[in-house]
Amino acid sequence: MDTFQIPVGPLHVALEEPMYFRLDVDGERVAAVEITAGHVHRGIEHLTERRNFWQNIVLTERVCSLCSNSHPQTYCMTVEAIAGIEVPVRAQYLRVIADEVKRVASHMFNVAILAHIVGFESLFMHVMEAREIMQDVKETIFGNRMDIAANTIGGVKYELDDARVAWLVDQLDRLEPVIVGEIAPLYRTDRSILSRTRGVGVIGRQDCIEYGLVGPVARGSGLDNDIRRLAPYAVYADLDFDVVTETDGDVWSRAMVRLGEIRQSIGILRQCLAKLPKGPSSLPGWPAIPAGEAVAKTEAPRGEVVYYLKTDGSTMPQRLKWRVPSYMNWDALGVMMKDARISDIPLIVNSIDPCISCTER
Amino acid sequence: MPDNILTLLFAVLVFPGGLFALAFGLILRGLDRRAVARMQRRVGPPLIQPFIDILKLMGKRTMVPEGSNTFVFLWAPVVAVAAMAVAAAMIPIAGFYRPSADLGDMLVLLYLVTVPAVVLMLAGSASGSPFGAIGFSREMAIMLAYEGPLLLAVVAVAMVAGHHLGQPIALSLADIVAVQRQQGAFILDPMLWPALLAYLSFIPANLGFSPFDIPEAESEVLEGPLLEYSGPALGLLKLASALKSVVVIGLGIALFCPIGPSGGAGLLVWALQCAVVTVCGVSLAKAALGRMRIDQAVLFYLKWPELLGIAGLVLAVANL
Repeated sequence: MDTFQIPVGPLHVALEEPMYFRLDVDGERVAAVEITAGHVHRGIEHLTERRNFWQNIVLTERVCSLCSNSHPQTYCMTVEAIAGIEVPVRAQYLRVIADEVKRVASHMFNVAILAHIVGFESLFMHVMEAREIMQDVKETIFGNRMDIAANTIGGVKYELDDARVAWLVDQLDRLEPVIVGEIAPLYRTDRSILSRTRGVGVIGRQDCIEYGLVGPVARGSGLDNDIRRLAPYAVYADLDFDVVTETDGDVWSRAMVRLGEIRQSIGILRQCLAKLPKGPSSLPGWPAIPAGEAVAKTEAPRGEVVYYLKTDGSTMPQRLKWRVPSYMNWDALGVMMKDARISDIPLIVNSIDPCISCTER
Repeated sequence: MPDNILTLLFAVLVFPGGLFALAFGLILRGLDRRAVARMQRRVGPPLIQPFIDILKLMGKRTMVPEGSNTFVFLWAPVVAVAAMAVAAAMIPIAGFYRPSADLGDMLVLLYLVTVPAVVLMLAGSASGSPFGAIGFSREMAIMLAYEGPLLLAVVAVAMVAGHHLGQPIALSLADIVAVQRQQGAFILDPMLWPALLAYLSFIPANLGFSPFDIPEAESEVLEGPLLEYSGPALGLLKLASALKSVVVIGLGIALFCPIGPSGGAGLLVWALQCAVVTVCGVSLAKAALGRMRIDQAVLFYLKWPELLGIAGLVLAVANL
């Protein structure tokens, strides 16, 4: 049989965002992949140079929806580094809480989509239904289901009183048994899931290092490079959590890493809520931002996010530049898709949890 | 024999083929959607949603893609509906309807049952879309895989029925039903259980339902052969598939469990049986399983249902 070309994307039911794969197909096997990006470039980096430091908090939050807390948080960290701002401890705890809530929701979304691609709609519904708990948390605490606007320079923009802390703990008590007792065992043992995800889209540990992979993709291949552990920011150094890794490096391993991380995040949230110190949650007034340069990095749901900021003493950044995890991870799709079947392509793409709008901004 | 021709036409166009089977098939489809929704803790659409969908499609334009074979592209759905309407007229309803022998015997029916799959292949290749081509190859692969178990199951039943009638093999569905109404339904005969299982496993693949909805997998090949279809042509393909569920489920009931009482109650019992098979056989699998990969599905059919079919045939023959 001759090879023929099929287009996957830029608009495709299994891709949440526009990305174009041109596949040379030999029967059901993929012979070659060509990835084209750039469909959602919006010029945000350039735009940041025309907005002042506070407007940029709003702007960076809109780079991407699922990691919409990591971007402003990392951006604020660079500004704080340049201005020499000491963020109050309570604010740091609140930042971790906001971040982990987003991480749980993001990971649940990804594993739900995996079930959808496999055609297991009941499981998709079940995970999305459980995810609603986290969505309700965001709506109740932050007032919005996606862009939660938690961060500001020098602290956070939201408060948790005792009633809300107690309510949050209740919600975690509702979510944890569903994750631990139902969803994770299903993904670990269900034949429909296993037969479609085991041994699919494999990438080895060495390839992970060579491609510089980050986040759950790298951890699925046994590379434990969690920024929260390697370069702790906020109060992660005081928190007790495990870096979840798997060894097989296939689609299933990456899903299992995410499910494990959901559980760790729930643990982190519980610790933060228990330890939450009293004190201010932000700085009074607007600090002056001197000229300078700074780099900050955090662990977004998809992996390491790096922000670089250069200022010249004015109210606007001279240059703001960031590198997102999907940028590192999507090159590895070529390795993962080698000899894959057509039916596995959406699964493999989903398994790196690509964030196109982050990458192309 | 103008009388006979009129009767045949009525059977094919109104009852039990044609209009009746269409309406009943769409209701079964609605029931299936509702049942799946309930299993997933959703409310689900109203029972008549499939009718609404068809009505909507019938009011739209059919777009014919550039580079497609227009003739095949537009006529393939018509052929599928026609074949299924005739096939539906050949399904006996125990105690209520006995198909005329002039319509043909079970061999004709078996050929007709494969027509929608062939139409999907034709439609897929005629549309000129690469996804249609993938759908084509997948449909072909899975068809080759599930035809075996189907034939083995049917032959096992036909031979047992033929034994009771004093023939080598009974190829008339009406006779098979008559035998069971005298001797008891074959579903009660443990020797025929493997054949029954083989038949049951054939149903979801033939109807294109989970876990065998591979040729039309939405998240993989964008519904494959159906991708380029729109408007009335898509509506016809959906009608053909609704008719096919009546034919395939009705055939299963005729082969294994034609237990309805005589008269109108027979029709009611038959309809109930169809509904039970739909909910327990189709909806449950849809809600509980994910999609297989085409190679896994073909391997599955060549292993279990095929084995069951062979075992069923051997048991049936050994027991004569």
